[in-house]
Amino acid sequence: MQPTARRNSRATRFGATAIATWAATLLAACSSPQVDEAVPAPAPATPTAPAPKGALNVPIEYYKLGNGLRVVLSEDHSVPVATVGVYYNIGFRIEPKERTGFAHLFEHLMFQGSQNLAKGQFFKLVQGLGGQLNGSTRFDYTNYYESFPSNAVETMLWAEADRMHSLDLTQDNLVNQQGVVKEEVKVNVLNQPYGGFPWLQLPQVANTNWYNAHNFYGDLQHIDAATLEEARTFFNTYYTPSNAVLVVAGDFDQAQVRSWIDKYFAAIPARQAPPIPDISEPAQTAEKHAKQIDALAPRPALAVGYHVPERWTPEHFAFGLIDEILLQGEASRLHRDLVQKRGYTSGVSGGINLLGNMFNYHGPMLWSASLVHDPATTEAQIMAAFDENIERIRTEPVTQEEIDRARRKIRSELYDLVGSSSRVGLVDLLATFALFDNDPDRLNRIEGEFAKVTPELILQTAQQYLRPENRTVLIVEAGKPEAGAAK
Amino acid sequence: MKYAIACFASALVLTQSAYAQQTPPPPGPPRPFQLPVPTTITLDNGVQATFVDFGVVPKVSVAISVRTGAINEGDKLWLSDIAGELLKEGTTTHTAEQLSDIAAEMGGEIGVGVGDDETSLSMDVLSEFGDDAVALLAEVLTQPKLPESELPRLRQNYLRSLSVALTQPQSIAGAAFAEALYPNHPYGKGFPTPEQLQSYTIDDVRSYYENNFGAKRTHVYVAGKFDHAQMEKAIRDKLGSWRAGPAVLDLPPPPAPAGSTHLIDRPGAPQSTIRVGLRVIDPAAPDFMALSVANTLLGGSLTSRITMNLREAKGWAYSPGSGLATHYRQAVWSENADVKAASTGPAITEIFKEVSLLRKEVPTGPELTAVKNYRNGIFVLSNATRGGLIGQLGFVNLQGLPADWLTTFVERLYAVTPEQVTAAVQKHLDPAKMSVVVLGDLKTVRPQLEAVEPLRKSLPRKPSRAASK
Repeated sequence: MQPTARRNSRATRFGATAIATWAATLLAACSSPQVDEAVPAPAPATPTAPAPKGALNVPIEYYKLGNGLRVVLSEDHSVPVATVGVYYNIGFRIEPKERTGFAHLFEHLMFQGSQNLAKGQFFKLVQGLGGQLNGSTRFDYTNYYESFPSNAVETMLWAEADRMHSLDLTQDNLVNQQGVVKEEVKVNVLNQPYGGFPWLQLPQVANTNWYNAHNFYGDLQHIDAATLEEARTFFNTYYTPSNAVLVVAGDFDQAQVRSWIDKYFAAIPARQAPPIPDISEPAQTAEKHAKQIDALAPRPALAVGYHVPERWTPEHFAFGLIDEILLQGEASRLHRDLVQKRGYTSGVSGGINLLGNMFNYHGPMLWSASLVHDPATTEAQIMAAFDENIERIRTEPVTQEEIDRARRKIRSELYDLVGSSSRVGLVDLLATFALFDNDPDRLNRIEGEFAKVTPELILQTAQQYLRPENRTVLIVEAGKPEAGAAK
Repeated sequence: MKYAIACFASALVLTQSAYAQQTPPPPGPPRPFQLPVPTTITLDNGVQATFVDFGVVPKVSVAISVRTGAINEGDKLWLSDIAGELLKEGTTTHTAEQLSDIAAEMGGEIGVGVGDDETSLSMDVLSEFGDDAVALLAEVLTQPKLPESELPRLRQNYLRSLSVALTQPQSIAGAAFAEALYPNHPYGKGFPTPEQLQSYTIDDVRSYYENNFGAKRTHVYVAGKFDHAQMEKAIRDKLGSWRAGPAVLDLPPPPAPAGSTHLIDRPGAPQSTIRVGLRVIDPAAPDFMALSVANTLLGGSLTSRITMNLREAKGWAYSPGSGLATHYRQAVWSENADVKAASTGPAITEIFKEVSLLRKEVPTGPELTAVKNYRNGIFVLSNATRGGLIGQLGFVNLQGLPADWLTTFVERLYAVTPEQVTAAVQKHLDPAKMSVVVLGDLKTVRPQLEAVEPLRKSLPRKPSRAASK
């Protein structure tokens, strides 16, 4: 009976918005902090010393089938559950230009039946064996996963292989899911105050390359216009074994799982992996400013987005710590200043990659900070306060104490990635490191890479990336100010 | 594009030749899941503490639950929330900044959650800091400064939250539905007015704290990897001499009112936000398990009947779902859905149709077995995390359920028969007694509702106002 918005809502790094097949899920998608590679960064010059050993030591087996499917296994018998994830290297960034929202619509179609499972049967098979399932579409991948009691590993592998092999697309099911997806966009965006703020709106104004700057959820007319033939072409282009990663994590016997994977996945015919278009983002040279009206919103909002350093570079890890120190949690500088000291807002949320974390993407990315405020607080006031904090991190070295605290928090979060019963966050990092970097073992090196970051590198990175010319300010005007709004 | 089309043609041939019709391989024998066994101690002043050893990673969660919340705030709506937030604004020995720094040093953060029945303080930290986390939470709980200086800022945050909540379809509909089911009781009070929020003084907050926080209402939960003796010592040292305070307030709601229908206008809304449901039985009632299984089958999962109908057959909604929301010795069943505006009336008709069908016809064995397996899987997943375990133990304690409620859960789940499911629905989910809230564009939606048989007579002449108070 608790009204849902009773408390001040604040996003956390574990609560990223996801465009998903199904909203009601017990499983929290999570992972750790995040940075990216938007600005063409100078080659990381720091000579790399061997990374100090981190606390995490996840067992990782990695191999490839003859048809190109990459497989990651991570065995752990602490609880009798397992998770299967299949990740395809197709995100909404590179969907067809006249079909915004197509990658996500297609994600829905993957649940609509295959040669051996009629419509609805995939859901029923998984849930009937005690499993949870979902799929989601992100910048650079679409994923499907099941978490379930571990006696059902073979069944789940069979079902994932079945739809990779023989998805059955029909006009009726396409029309049905066009309807569902349109209702999804309405409930999350069109009928919701701040519905697209800032996760859908900011990339569209901060980026210039269409691939990074279109409406990823999709124009309703584009969703309606999608055809069965387009869906078939999309499946055959992107849903190939060589364009995918399979992860199995949890309670299973490795030799047995390998034989099942051979049995069910190895027979799927090889097809060439599709070419990826140029998604690079030209270096930004002047500050951008955009103003939009949210017809449903009662109070104004503001977001700031900066292009971030290339992923898995020393600067990227430095930016991860900057994010932690500036923005994450109640001990962060922006919370202290904008929330506690000045009382401009109830919370500042954001991070690197609003649809995931600092590792699970593969292209240009933004770090953003956003807040909802009162009409009596001006944009100029907020930006002045914000810039004070930015200027400080660009000119004063952070203290060792702050760095240590940020690292300890990251360690604490990495443990939870492994300790979670659903293992969705663990599977996500293993899959994306395999998919984008051909190196799932990076998971065990995250902490070591953070450990190498020095206060000097943080200072340099802040100077290089937290410049006004590298940012976009997005203002949302309240289209529905309440009568007698508080001053 | 040509490349892709060519690929498709060849793949199709391969698919047809190499792939005979298959059935899914069956699961292996279930592997045993042992629930970790909790131990509980009671201190002389009434504080209880429950410990559960769990997991492999070096982390521990500590939660301190106090039996106070909206139920104790009287007419001062959201005062309990403001008091909860103010707890974090400093203690007699540490400032708010120091508190959040100390918590961050442990790899965690102080969380305060305020519900209708309970207020919970929690931290999730690296195991080496377990006893420090107990000490910090105990300090926040027992020695808060409740500084007057921070009240205007927090009040302003709640005014902002209120204004946002009053534009969110789900919170408006949820509050109207709660009010319909629990009139004149704290469980049914949704939103304060801005004037009310403006009127609260620091004395209101402090007397709320003084009158409601104390050892007799307090239960500490510790789950994860930790040194048992060290944690017990920390709890005894930091909470053992706290004032006993008041006993738990017993304020049962008056009997459920008759079902009613409420329309809230949202001109131009592309969707209607629907709540359909009623008050049902106490979670401690013997047939609550059967009702809970019935809920999963009816609307409580992706493969449930109402969801498969509204979503997979009709394409009218993305994430419809039903649930049993509980309070102390209370539960409400409701179906919640955001549906395409043009299908509002038909969607409600389908919801009633599915409820009525389950009242008439006993579900098949295979359908029920699948539901039980699903519930069993969720039970395992949700008890295999520190937070999940604490949540389950907290539910058992709040509702006063038997100590073996969790360990017998799976056995009781699988004992439910198809006849018991239908009996529970017949007894507890009578469409004629249900209340309905529809928030949408009434210009187009109202005519649709007039065509829904059970609603026609109860439609109010005038729309309700969005803000209930």
